[in-house]
Formats: sequence, C-alpha cells, structure tokens
Amino acid sequence: MKRLHLVTWLAAAVFVAACGSTGGGSSNTSSYAGKTIKLGAILSITGAGGVYGPQSRDGANLAVKQINSSGGVNGAQIALTINDDASDKAQSAQVAQKLIQEEQDLALLGPTLSNSAVAVHPLAETLKTPILAVSTTGINIVPNCNAPSTVPCKYVFRDSLGEETAIPDNIKSYAADSHPSTGVLLVAQDDKFSSDGGTIVQNTVGQYNIQLLKTIKFNKAEADLSPYVTQAVQLKPDVIFITSLGGIPAKIMTEARKQGWTGQFLGGNGFNTATVSKQAADAGKGARSASAWYLGNNFASNADFVTAYRAEYNKDPDQFAAQGYAAIKILADAAKRANLTFSDLAGDRDKQRAAMESVNIQTPLGPFQFTSAHDVKQTVWVIAMDGVGGFTLVHQINPS
Amino acid sequence: MDFFIQLFTDPVAFWNSHTLLIAQIGINSILASSMFVVLYSGQLSLAAPGFMAIGAYTSLLMDLHWHTPLALNIAAGLLVAGVVGVFVGLPVLRLRGVFLAIATIGFIEALRLGVILNLPITGEGLGLKNPNADPLGGINLVLGSLLVVLFLMWRLTKGRLGSAWAAIRQDELAALSQGINVAQYKMIAFVLSALLAGFAGGLEAHLNFFVDPGDQQYGVTRAVQILTFAVLGGSGNFLGPVVGALVVTSLPWVFQQAQAYINVVTGLFLIAVIVFRPQGIVGRGGLAIVKPWWWPRRNVSAPAPR
Amino acid sequence: MDQQILNAIFIGSIYALFAVGYTLVFGVLDILNLAHSAVFMLGAAITYSLVVNRGQSFWIACILGIAASAVMGLVIEHVCLRPLRRRKAPPIAALISTIGLALIIVAAVEQGQPGTFFSWLWVDGANSVAFPAGTIPNPTWHVGDLTLEASKVAIIPISIILMLVLGYVIRYTQVGRGLRAVAENPRAARLMGLDVDRMISLTLVISSALGGLAGILFGVALGDISPYIGRDNVEVRGLAVIVLGGMGSIPGAVVGGYLLGMIEVLALVVLGSNARGGVAFAALFLMLVLRPQGLFGAQLRERI
Repeated sequence: MKRLHLVTWLAAAVFVAACGSTGGGSSNTSSYAGKTIKLGAILSITGAGGVYGPQSRDGANLAVKQINSSGGVNGAQIALTINDDASDKAQSAQVAQKLIQEEQDLALLGPTLSNSAVAVHPLAETLKTPILAVSTTGINIVPNCNAPSTVPCKYVFRDSLGEETAIPDNIKSYAADSHPSTGVLLVAQDDKFSSDGGTIVQNTVGQYNIQLLKTIKFNKAEADLSPYVTQAVQLKPDVIFITSLGGIPAKIMTEARKQGWTGQFLGGNGFNTATVSKQAADAGKGARSASAWYLGNNFASNADFVTAYRAEYNKDPDQFAAQGYAAIKILADAAKRANLTFSDLAGDRDKQRAAMESVNIQTPLGPFQFTSAHDVKQTVWVIAMDGVGGFTLVHQINPS
Repeated sequence: MDFFIQLFTDPVAFWNSHTLLIAQIGINSILASSMFVVLYSGQLSLAAPGFMAIGAYTSLLMDLHWHTPLALNIAAGLLVAGVVGVFVGLPVLRLRGVFLAIATIGFIEALRLGVILNLPITGEGLGLKNPNADPLGGINLVLGSLLVVLFLMWRLTKGRLGSAWAAIRQDELAALSQGINVAQYKMIAFVLSALLAGFAGGLEAHLNFFVDPGDQQYGVTRAVQILTFAVLGGSGNFLGPVVGALVVTSLPWVFQQAQAYINVVTGLFLIAVIVFRPQGIVGRGGLAIVKPWWWPRRNVSAPAPR
Repeated sequence: MDQQILNAIFIGSIYALFAVGYTLVFGVLDILNLAHSAVFMLGAAITYSLVVNRGQSFWIACILGIAASAVMGLVIEHVCLRPLRRRKAPPIAALISTIGLALIIVAAVEQGQPGTFFSWLWVDGANSVAFPAGTIPNPTWHVGDLTLEASKVAIIPISIILMLVLGYVIRYTQVGRGLRAVAENPRAARLMGLDVDRMISLTLVISSALGGLAGILFGVALGDISPYIGRDNVEVRGLAVIVLGGMGSIPGAVVGGYLLGMIEVLALVVLGSNARGGVAFAALFLMLVLRPQGLFGAQLRERI
C-alpha cells in the first residue's frame, strides 16, 4: 500500500514537473492565447506614394488574415492598423508618434517612402520601437538610420531590397545587352528616394562606359515637367535615367516620347508596380528596372501566395504586395519566439527586436534572413514594362 | 473622448503618452505669439515660416558643423532671424494690408524655393538630418520657453509698446498725428515677431530628426496654419493665439475618427470666426469662452497714448 | 531652345488665364480671393470625376466643370464676402475667410475616397491622376525640331479669346461699365442705382469660371490633377503675376503671365533647373519693393 502511495506521488510529481517544463518551453502552441499582438503600419495610401502603399497594405492584410485564421501567433490574434501618411514626411512622423505613444503598438511597418523614413525611423529608434520597412530602398535606411552618425540603429529593419544593389544590377544588365554610350539623369532633388537613386546612377555609369551628359534636377511638386524633359531630349542621349516615383516616371516617359525621343528608359524601384506601368502605357514599353520580386518566381511559398492573393483581391500581386506580406510573416515569426509578456511594453518591444534578428523563414521573396545590418540580400529580377500595365522578365540575377 | 478621460483621470500617464503632442503645442504657441505681435500692431505679416526656417537651419548647421551647445545654437538662430527681419522689414513695412501679406508670402517662398533649395550647405531639396534630436527631453525646454515668452507678451501689451501698437492698429494715420513714431514701432513688432519665429524654428529643429524646405514646414501652408491659431484664438490679447494653437494642434489627436476632416473643420471654424466673432475665442465682448478668473478687466484696445 | 520658348508660352497662357480672374476680383473689390486657386483645382477635379467616374463625355464634363466653378464663385461671394461687407470689415478679413474656404475645398477633395462622405466629388484622395489617353483627340505634330501637342496649342487661342472677350465686356458693355463703377467707388455706384451686390456676384462668377477653366486646361495639357495643383502650381505664382502686371489690371495679368512663364524657363536654361521655383518669388518680392503698382497699375493710393 505504501509503495503504491509512493509511486502515485512520484508519478504525480513527474507529471507536474513535466507540465511545468513544457509550460515554460519554446514550442508550446497557445501560451499567448487570448492576447492581441498590436501592429501599426504607416503607409502612403494617398499622395505620390499612393501608387505603392495600397499594395503593401493588401499584402500585409492577407498575411494577417491567413495567420489569424490558422491559430494566430501562439494563440494570439494580430491586430494590424493601416495608417495613411499621405506621402508627407511631417505627417508620417506624427502618425508614428501616435502609434508608438498612444496606440502602444508592439512594432511598426513602413513608412512607404524613403523620404518619410528620414523622419520616422530615427524616431522609432529613439522611442525603442521595432520598425520594419517594407518599401524603402534609399541609402542609409539601414543600418545607419541616423547618418552621418555611424551608430547603427538597433530597432530599424527592412525587407525591401536597396537601390544600392538594384540600380547597378539594372544598369549592368542593360549595358551588357546594348552597350549604350550616353545618358541623362532626371532626378527629383527634394525626394530622398529619387535623390539617392540619382547618386547611385552617377556612381555607377562610369563602370559601364556610359557618359552622363547631364543631371537635371526638378522639384517633385512641379506639374509642368516639359522644360526639363526638353533639356534632356535635346541632348539626344542613348539612355534616360528616371529615379523618381509616383506619377512622375510615367509623365516623363510620355513627354519624352511625345518630343520624339526613342531611347531606353532605365529606372529604379519606383517603376515596379502595375499602376506605373499602366500610366506609362505605350510610352513606357521596354522601360527597365530591377525588382525584388517577380510574379512567376519559383520560390517555395510564392505560388501559394499568388493564388491566395488573386483569390482575395481579384488581381495579381506585385513587388510591394510581396514585401508587405513577407513583413507580416517576419514579424509573426519573431513574435512567436520572443516570449512576449503582454504586460511590459518596453520589454516586449526589445524582445521583439532581438527575435527579429534571428528570423529565418520562407517568403514569396525567397528564403529570408536579415543581414547583420538588418538589411536584405536576395535575388534580383530585371523586368521591363510591357506597355499594357504589366512586366516581362528580362534577367534573373542571383545574389553573389 | 478617451483623450479627455485619460487627461483628467490619469494626468501622469497622459503626459507620458503625449509628450510629443504637448511639445508641439508648445512650439505652436510660441509661433502663435509671433503672429500675435504683428497682428496686434495691425500688420498682416505671413513671414513667420521664413524666420522659422532661418532659426532652424542656423541652429542645426551650427550643431552639425561646429558641435556648439544647444543654447548657443538656438540663440544664434534667433539672432540671425532677427537680423534678417530688419532687412526684410525695411522695404516691406511701407506696404499696407494685403500688399504686406503678399510681400511676406513672396519673402518666404523666395527663401524656401530660391535660397534654401539652391544652397548646398542646407542640403537643398532633401534638407538636413538631425541625429542629435531629442523629442522626449526637449519638452521641458519648450514649455519653459513658452512661459518666458508669455510673460514677455504680457508685459509688452501692458506697457508703452503695447499701447502704441494698439493705437497703430486702430488707425495708423491717427497714431501718426498723435506723435507716435509709427514706422519705428512697426519695425519693432516685425523684428520681435521674427525673433520669436526664429526661436520656435530652432526649438522645433531640436525636437525633430529633420529639417527640410517643404511647403508644410516653411511654406504658405504653414503660414496659413499659424494665421489660423491667431484668428481662431483672437489676437486682441496675448493668450488668444495660444489658445488657438492649443485647440488646432490637438484637434487631430482628440477626434481620431474625424482626423481625416480636420482641415474641413478648421476651414469652417475660420470662416465662422471671421464672420461672426472676429475677436476670436479669447476676445472681449460677447461670449468669451475662455477667460481665466484672474483676468484683469482692462480695456487693452483703446489706450491713451503717451 | 525653341522648344523651351513654346513650353514657356503654354504654361504662360495658363498663368495668364488664372491671374486674370485673380486680378479682376482685386480690381473690383480690392480683395485678394485666396480661394481662387482652390476653384482652379476644383474645375479640373470635377471635370475629371465626371469623365472617369461617371462616364460623361469630355465636352459635357468640361461645361459642367466650368459651371460648377462659376457656382463656387457665388458661394465665395455669399459665404465669405457678403457677410463681411455688411459688417464693414477690412479687406484683410476677406483674405482670411477665403483662406478658410480654400482649406475646405482642398480638404474635401483630399478626403474624397471610395466610401467616404466626399466620394460623390472625387475618389482619388491625395493622388495625382490624369485624363485617360484618348479622352480628347490630342495629336502631336513635329515641325522641324519642335513638338506641338494639340491640347497645349489649343490653350493659346482659348486663353487669348477669353481675355479679349473679357476686355471687350469691361470696356464697352453696360455690365462692364457697372463693374468699373463699382471698382471706382461702390458707394457712389449704389447711390446711382446700381445693384452693387449683383455686380460683385457677377465678378466672382466670371473670375471663378475663368479659374476653373484654367484648371481644366492645366489638367488636360499637363496631365496632372490632384487636390494640390492649385496650391503647388498657381496659388503663389498667381500672386507673382498680378504683382508683376499690376494688381487690378487685366492686360497686366495677361502680360505678367507670359512674362513669368518666360522668366522661369529662362532661369531654368541659364541658371540650371534648380532656379525655376524661386524665380517667381524673387520677382514678386522685388517688384513689390521697387514698384508696387506693377507694370500696368496706376500709382497706388493708400490702401489699408
């Protein structure tokens, strides 16, 4: 009798110990049950960046929906708010302030434009809130968000391939195909993305024996671009580099074609969405850029992503949608491993940040890991506008 | 209404989760005071954003290139703004009413689009980044400065300057005939306004991680916003514009659902105030909504000039 | 270089047409109507919405757009100006109330998105849109080195005819005499039996219709329609033009418009593209300081 008693006690003790250890372990599936993971996205749904923001939003929302309907993150539901910054830097900063201080979001996504990131990223860093950029590709987004200071920003990440890789790849690919000898650069000097792209073009063309005849600067708010285009066209270059975003690329291309120029357009990340291709229509046919994603890529989770996106929205996804989708996957994966307490916001944000650094998952962009600089290294797809609102694949360049 | 609930039930938490808003209100109040000074002396000058830009760029450039202490940078910004104010004021103060307004618009846009965009040192179109910005710590500086500014405004309006300005605003020719050196007093008001705006600009640059020559920062849009503070609050006494700044700045935070329509509401308010109650919220006469109990019952708009 | 001259003429025509409306109101009322740039934008926005969201033909949409702008002129008069006239408020007050109306108009369009309150007016929010290709026939001709686009070329005769018509009306018709009388001395005009309020309404209607039309031409020729086209492109430039030309002078506004277009393109070519933006305002500032009456204005009397 006593022995049975002892065994029972031992069994009970072992049972309790086993339960205790799995309760604090890393692979339990419901320790966040009943909680909400608050995420805030700062996107340009309207304004110049409004040609990109809605796609990021749609991609992110799709991921949230998928995750929430299959058990959430360890049982917690994701609550994602989409906040429009109207493509304005100051408004972007204000929205960030609200999301960090008043809404008390765990982590943020965005902002859409590199120009706005100048204001938002250092703020998030100072207020110790992790922020994952989904479409900013300018210089010094990561790791030195406070450039010229060289102290890396711990809380800033991005999943959007930088122009520093994309533009040279694009130029190199075209130079190899067609050996152009002259070019003119048109750049919106008051937009960071455009200006950075311009700097990269200037630093790259020499390597491929393209002579940059002139750099023409204008302000992004100007509606009348014809004098600038005239200046460019009158120089009769082989290539016109357009590093702008929003409605500007299509305008420049249309005007240049009207003025009788027949050369090649080379652009940056600003080209990589269907809206711009559609706006440019026939004038943009053949215009090339380097993209971080391509509809028909063969990565493991891409086909499912495309199917789900088409089913949800009745249209094809694009690079921005893929990056928004991947961002949510990244944040969710980090949250899962971060041992969040949901009662200590500052501590949770720091844990989230740390967990993000070790993310290693499959996304439609390919297998995804952050570099030590919180940046992205991935395959590059050189695409060309097809003149009817879409793109064709020109080259695939694998990461070195 | 959660905004007000938190404000009254848990002020400490409210403070902590709204430091950025409160700091912005402080800066806007100083800008509103800058507007007050010129409006009180009867001049519709929209030059504040230009002087802000001067203060902001000067203080930030000093920090970036010479690493001088903050107080020195802001003081320098303020002084440079004041000096420019003298040079701008000289030709411009001869103009009256609408023409003065247009000239000051010309000044701020020429500064923004002509000068700042073309000087490499200002970072041209991209502006400058401020790695030493202190959005959280800066609030004490801002609020402290605001108290000093308000005290200054109070003394000024009670004193001889205030009386002279009020007389000039009432009727410039009459003031002239009473022996008031109109040109001199107008210049003083203009330069003081420039100093205040330059000061606010330097402070704002310290709180944000960037300065850039965008229209929302230093253009006509900003000038209209500052004008709105003064008009809504009323420029008959020094607290009016501050109240206006408080109301307008906090609107988007209070009415979160209606945030999208803030400008519509502001525009409606502006028309309503100008048409029905030009003296603004804090104005004498009629139903003055905001009047602190200690408000001295002095008639400040019809003084006997000395 | 020749193409640049053409560019200057095209944009100059739009500046001129816009400035004529501005200066007309100033001439008759001594008031700066800062809602004019918002009406410019509204004309373009309404026309675009009618064509793209409601499937109207461009020409009908155009007429409706101009009509809507004219109606907005009446709104300006009744909401912003008349109540202030009744209270004998100074012109500064009218400046401020028109600023308020401009804020409302721009915000209404800015907030127009599918499913919101203003979606009947506009659904593209803060985006910049263009008329779809083929909305109007727009052939392009190449003459030597020059590129001539029909929509841009058309602006010149349209603007010039309108300005000539307006000039004729003001000089030689009874209505025009009435307007001039009000401009000269509203009190005397009223005592002579003129319905001053009606004259003022007419002024605002004409001015706003012209402004709206300038906006439509802008949207068609430059392929850019957004809530901000007024603010960014013509609001302050319009001021520069009327100051250059002389405030209250219609021929001044016309000459000033083309002059500004030329100066800007000249600055672009000679000083570099950076300079284009600041030129207008430097010119404005200098003109106000050196010769406030502008090129064609009469010697300025004291105006408070």
